[in-house]
Amino acid sequence: MTGWHLDDGTLRRYVGRTDSLAEGTSVEQHLLSCEQCRARVNPAVDVIDLAAVWARTRDAVEVPRPSVFERLLRVAGLPAHEARLVAVASAFRGVWLVGVAAVLAFAALAAAVGHARGLWFFLAVAPLAPCLVVAFSYDRRMDPALEPEMVTPYPALRLILLRTIAVLALALPAVLLLGLVVPGDAPFAWLLPAIGFVAVVLAASTWVSPLNAAMAVSAAWLTTVWLVATRSASPAAVLQARIQVAFLVLAAASFGIFLARRRHLRQLRPWR
Amino acid sequence: MDSRPGDETLLLAVAGRDMGAFRTLYERHAGWLAIRLARRCNDRDLVADAVQDTFIAVWQRPQGFRGDGDVAAWLWGIAIRRLVSRMRTRGSVAAVFEKGGAAPAAEDQVLLSVEYGDIGQALARLSPEMRAVIQAVVLDGLTAREAAQLLHVPVSSVKTRLYRAKARLRAVLAEGSS
Repeated sequence: MTGWHLDDGTLRRYVGRTDSLAEGTSVEQHLLSCEQCRARVNPAVDVIDLAAVWARTRDAVEVPRPSVFERLLRVAGLPAHEARLVAVASAFRGVWLVGVAAVLAFAALAAAVGHARGLWFFLAVAPLAPCLVVAFSYDRRMDPALEPEMVTPYPALRLILLRTIAVLALALPAVLLLGLVVPGDAPFAWLLPAIGFVAVVLAASTWVSPLNAAMAVSAAWLTTVWLVATRSASPAAVLQARIQVAFLVLAAASFGIFLARRRHLRQLRPWR
Repeated sequence: MDSRPGDETLLLAVAGRDMGAFRTLYERHAGWLAIRLARRCNDRDLVADAVQDTFIAVWQRPQGFRGDGDVAAWLWGIAIRRLVSRMRTRGSVAAVFEKGGAAPAAEDQVLLSVEYGDIGQALARLSPEMRAVIQAVVLDGLTAREAAQLLHVPVSSVKTRLYRAKARLRAVLAEGSS
């Protein structure tokens, strides 16, 4: 602090840009080291709306840093706002995935130990995992963030498909990896049923909430597996090509229905 | 001096995620940064963006200030580079060239003789393009590449103009002292 300060005329010329380069430069050099003169410049600012810029700055720093998953989505080429929409699904907050992974790990372990019963358990649980995660990822009861999303004029179909793809991209490798522990072809047999169930949930979500749809699908599948198992058929029955094709048809048909009825997605909003 | 916290103290608080300290820092510095940036770029939206980017950068890396020199100078170094990078992504905005003419008034002469002596007149006799380069490279401390992006001219032009401007200044100053 030199005790030397800018006079009012110089400051006025500087702010109004009516000074010469040399004078402006000397003002700028002085401002760098003089807190008092800086404080005198600040009230004169009319070039930008300082309050608005502050609001934007505060909003920007208060938003949590994008999660690893969101950054991955961006790397994959998704625009930032879509990456955020896809990633805010509660499924990616870890809790659900951990739960799903734990169930699958348990099932795979049981199957790996070699009991036929364990293998049945794996076949009962594994195909349901993706459709449950999809349902959780956009059911409003699970995700308060969804409400404003659905209200904004954002194509709901695109959001749901993006999320579904994201869920599958996350869930499939995890489940496949676990499946490697399970003996035989079973690890891969669940893949088509899983995709079929996801499609059914998507199609059913044009009538009922995705979570209810997923519950219904789960109940139906578990009952089916239980019925087949109690008739002491070997687990290999589920692996038959015929049944796999049936699941493929189911997936294609459901997806067709989902696309045909996509306008009804807007009715999802008043879920209770 | 009063007991208000210094800028270094505020930066430490910002590193501890103190939003109040961040706000104080913004209120102290955003204004003069905006004015100084606006002297280098005519587009006010870009200036606003650059100020915002600057403070976001401060929030993310307050430890970037190593305690040497003034916090204000450190902030300016960030701000001018944020402006350059904003202008690079926009591409179509013309940087401000200092207006020529306007012979300095009497009190300016006093100010200049205090801080710069004859350099003021020497600068005034340069062409606007040369002054812009001197301002960007010598006074703002940008690299030739950054100055080229700010002024929207090739790097080679920045280098030749800088070379000629320095030669010009040297000649004018030598002439004045003889």
